[in-house]
Amino acid sequence: MKNNIIKYATIATLAAVSFTACKKDEVATPTPVEQELITTVKLNVTNSEGFNKTFVYKVENGFGSTTQGTVTKDDIVLAPGKQYDVEVTLLNEKKSPAEDVTEEVKNESNDHLFLFQSAPVTGAGSVSFSDGNKDGNGNPLNQKIKFTTATAGTGALTLTLKHEPTNKAATTPDAAGGETDVEAIFNVKLQ
Amino acid sequence: MNRVLIAMILWLMVLVQHVYAQDTCNINIKCRVVETHSGQSLFPVSAYIDEMKREFEVDEDGRFEIDNACSGTYHIHFHAAGYEHLVKEIKISANASLKFSLSHIDKELAEVVVSDDRAKTIIQSKGNINRLDIVSNSGKTLGDMLQNVNGVSVLSNGATIAKPVIHGLHSNRIIILNNGIRQEDQQWGGEHAPNIDPFLANNITVLKGASGVRYGTDAIGGVVLVEPSAVRTMIGWGGEVNLAGFSNNRMGVASATVEHGFKYIKGLGIRLQGTLKQGGNYHIPDYWAANTGTEEQNYSATMAYKRAHFGVEAFYSHFNTKLGIYRGSHTGNQADLMAAINSDTPLVNAGFSYQIDRPMQHVVHDLAKLKMNTDTRAGALSLVYAYQHNYRQEYDIIRGNSDKAQLNLTLNTQSLNLNLEHKPVAGISGQVGIDGTYQENYMRDGDRVFIPNYRSPGFAAYIIERYRLNKVTLEAGARYDYRHYEVFNPEGNNQTIVRYLFDYSNASGTIGLRYKPKPNWEWSVTLANAWRAPQASELFSSGLHHGAARIELGDKKLKPEKAYSLNIETGYNVPDKLHLELSLYSQYINDFIYLKPDADILTIRGYFKSFRYTQTNAWLNGIDASVRYYPVKSLETHLKASILFARDVQQKDWLILMPADRISGGIKYSFNLGKTIKDVYVGADGRYVFRQWRIPANFDQIDYPHPPADYFVMDAEAGVTIMRSGHPIYFSITVMNALNQQYRDYLDAFRYFINQPGTNVVLRLRVPFNFYGLISKN
Repeated sequence: MKNNIIKYATIATLAAVSFTACKKDEVATPTPVEQELITTVKLNVTNSEGFNKTFVYKVENGFGSTTQGTVTKDDIVLAPGKQYDVEVTLLNEKKSPAEDVTEEVKNESNDHLFLFQSAPVTGAGSVSFSDGNKDGNGNPLNQKIKFTTATAGTGALTLTLKHEPTNKAATTPDAAGGETDVEAIFNVKLQ
Repeated sequence: MNRVLIAMILWLMVLVQHVYAQDTCNINIKCRVVETHSGQSLFPVSAYIDEMKREFEVDEDGRFEIDNACSGTYHIHFHAAGYEHLVKEIKISANASLKFSLSHIDKELAEVVVSDDRAKTIIQSKGNINRLDIVSNSGKTLGDMLQNVNGVSVLSNGATIAKPVIHGLHSNRIIILNNGIRQEDQQWGGEHAPNIDPFLANNITVLKGASGVRYGTDAIGGVVLVEPSAVRTMIGWGGEVNLAGFSNNRMGVASATVEHGFKYIKGLGIRLQGTLKQGGNYHIPDYWAANTGTEEQNYSATMAYKRAHFGVEAFYSHFNTKLGIYRGSHTGNQADLMAAINSDTPLVNAGFSYQIDRPMQHVVHDLAKLKMNTDTRAGALSLVYAYQHNYRQEYDIIRGNSDKAQLNLTLNTQSLNLNLEHKPVAGISGQVGIDGTYQENYMRDGDRVFIPNYRSPGFAAYIIERYRLNKVTLEAGARYDYRHYEVFNPEGNNQTIVRYLFDYSNASGTIGLRYKPKPNWEWSVTLANAWRAPQASELFSSGLHHGAARIELGDKKLKPEKAYSLNIETGYNVPDKLHLELSLYSQYINDFIYLKPDADILTIRGYFKSFRYTQTNAWLNGIDASVRYYPVKSLETHLKASILFARDVQQKDWLILMPADRISGGIKYSFNLGKTIKDVYVGADGRYVFRQWRIPANFDQIDYPHPPADYFVMDAEAGVTIMRSGHPIYFSITVMNALNQQYRDYLDAFRYFINQPGTNVVLRLRVPFNFYGLISKN
C-alpha cells in the first residue's frame, strides 16, 4: 500500500513539473503574414501623343483583414475617341519596399487572366479593349492591353484578375471560372 | 496497400485453421451479481467477456443478460469499486440462469481493477453504438457512425469530413472523450473533424444534453465517449482483422488488432492496433467531386499491468490524415461564390483520382496517456495523466510552387485527473475528483492570421453522489471550474502584439432521478447545466472563410455561455419483442454565441460580407422517439424520429444552421442456414430528412440559397457469418444511397456547390481470433 502511495506521489510530482515546465516567451504570437497579398493595382496608360498617366486602386489592408484601411481609388480620366496602351502592375505595399506581384503573375501566365469590363458596354463613356498580350500557350493574359475610348461621358471599368481560370477565352469573370484574386472598380471619365 | 492486403490474407488463412468449439449461437444466459455476505444485488458493476469482447451493462438490480451466445467456454470478468476482481470460467451449452457473488475487499487480500464505465452509471439521456454497430459501419468516419444515434446529426464538408451534432449543438459545444481523455483537437472550425480512429472503439456512448459536472467546460450539447475494450491480460493471443472496400470513392480500409497476455508475467497484457485508409475522389450522381480524396494512417499501442488492488495502463495513439477539400468550394470572392452556387453543374470537373491537391488539410494527433488505479479502503482511486499534441496544416490554393502550408496550428494539452470512486457510505455511492489542464496554442511564423497564440491553465473539482431507495435512484453532482487565458494578439497596422488576460470560473450542478415502476419500464429526469468560456477564435477571430466568402470578426467582450438543460425520458423494454424510447429535452443557453451580419468590408477582391460574434439567449426544445418491434424473433423493424425547435429568444426568431427534422426506419430479417453458414441477415434502412424551414427572418441577408429540399435516402445491407473449423468469419455487403438519389443536406458545407455522394457499395470482412496460451503448442 505504502509503495503505491509512493508511486502515486512520484507520478504526481513529475506531472506537476511538466505542467509548469514551459518557457515563458515561446508562446508570443509571431507576426502573421497574409501570403501572396495584393494591395494595389496600377494602370499605366500611355499613347503615341505623349499621354502618360498612372491610375491607382488601392485597398490598404488588401485582403484577409477585418478592416479595409485607407482606400485610394483614382478616376480614369481619358480623352474620348482615342486609343491607349495600358499596362497593369500589381503591388503588395504592406511590404517595404513594395513587392511587385506582377512578375509572379507573368511567370505563371498560363494560370492567370486579366479581364476588363466597361459599363456601359458601348456608347458614351464606354471603353473597348483589344490586342491583349498572351500567356505561354498563346492564350490571353491581358496584362498589357489597348483601350479604345468612345464618345464623351462617364462610366465604370472593372478589372478582374483570375487565378486558375477554367476558360481562358472568356471575357467575363463568371465565364472564366477560377478564383478572383483582384477585383478593382474604377470610375471612368471621358472628357 | 496491395502488399498489406496480401499479408493480411495469408495471415487469415493461417488463423482459420485453429479450432475451438462453437455450434449454436442463440443461447440466452440470465445473470445476476450479488454481494457475497448479504446476498444483495450489486451495482454499479461492470461485466466483461473476453472471448466476445463484449461489455455488459448491469442494471440496478445487479442483473444482465448474455444474449445470442454461442455454446462454448468463456471467461467473464466482474469489476466493482470496493470489491474483489472476479474472473469466472463459464461453460455455455443451453439457456440458463447464473448467479455471481463478489466479496468485499478486506484488509488481508483482494483484487480490484477499476473500470472506466462511470458514464454508464450517470443518469442522463444517452445513445449507444456497440461493437457490432461499429464493425458493421467500419471504414466510416466517427461523425458518420454517430448519425445512427437518435438526436445526433452530422455537420459535414462533403463525404470525408464529418462531425457530430447533438441536439443541434456541435464543435466547441460538445466534448469527445477518447479512451477517457478529453479530445483537444481544434474543434472550433466547422471543417475540423474529430481526429479519432473509430477502429479503436469497442463501444461509443453519446450523452445528450448538458454534462458539465463530470466532463467540465464545453459539455453543453453533450458528450461522445469513445471507449476501447479492456486490454487482454489473460494468457494467450487475441485480435481481429477488418477489411472494407467502398465502391464510390474506391476506398480501401484495413485495420488489425493484436493482443497478447503474457505467460510469465501474470497480469501483463499488450495490444497493438493499426489502420490504413485510402480513398479517391467521390462520385456524386453524374460527376466526380474534384479533389475529395482521403488518406489515413493510424496506430496505437496499449500496455496494461493488472495486479491485486493495483493497475497501470499506458496508452499511445497516433492519428494522421490528409483530406482533400472539394476544389470548387475554394472561391475568391462573392461573385465567384454566386457563380458557383448558381451553376447547374459543378464548376470544377474532374475524373477519378487518388491524388490530393490544394486545397487540403493535413492533421496529426498524438495522445499519450498513463493511468494508474488502486483499491484503497476508501474506494477505487485512479490517477490519469495525458498529453495531446495536435498539429493542423491547411493548404490553400496559391500562386507558385511552394509546398508550404498557409496555416500551421499547434495545440498542446496536458491533463491530470485524480478520481475516487468511494465505497458506499450510508447507502450513498459516488465519486469525487480534481482535474487540471494546461493548454498551449501557437501558430508558425509566416502564417496567415487566424487564431492568436495563447496559453491556458485550468482547474476543476467535482463530486457526484447517488442514492437508491427501492425503485427510485437519485443522483446529484456539483463542480467548480476555473480557467485562465493569456492571449498574444497581433493588432493594428504594425501588428504589434497585445497581451490579454482572461479569467473565467463557474459552478455547475446536476440532479438526476430515475424511477423504475416495473423491471422493464423506466423513467428518468435530469436537470443539469454546463458552461463554456468563449473560444480564442470567437474572441479574436479575423478569419476569412474561403468556402463561404465571408469575413468573421471576434469580440473580446464576449461572456461565457451558460446552458441549463432538462431531459425527461422513458423507456419500455420487452426483450426480443418491443423496445420503446421517448425523450423530451429543453435547453436554455444564456449568452449563446453566434455570428451576426455586420457591415460589408472592401478588399482588393471586392466587397465581402462580414459577421461579428454576438451573444443572445437561445432556447432549444426537441423530441427524440424510437420504436423497435419484432413481429417474430427473426424480424426486426424500427422507426426513429427526431424534431428540434431552436429559438433565438431575444430576436424572437429561429436560429440558423440547425438540423432539420428527420424520420428513419428499417427492417432486418435474420436466419441460420446451418452450422457453417449462420446469422444470415438482409435488411433495408430509409431516412427522410425534411427541408429546414425554421430559419431566421433575415436569412437572405446571411446566407444563400435557402436550405435544400426534403430528401429520402435508402440503404440496403446483407451479411453472413461463415464458420470455418468452428471459427467465425463475418462478411457483409452494404449499399448506401441505393437509389443513387441526388440530394443536398442543410448541414453540409458543400451544399452550395455539389450534391451528396451517389450509390456506394461497401464490402466488409471481419475475422476475430483468440487463442488461450496454445500458440506455442501448435
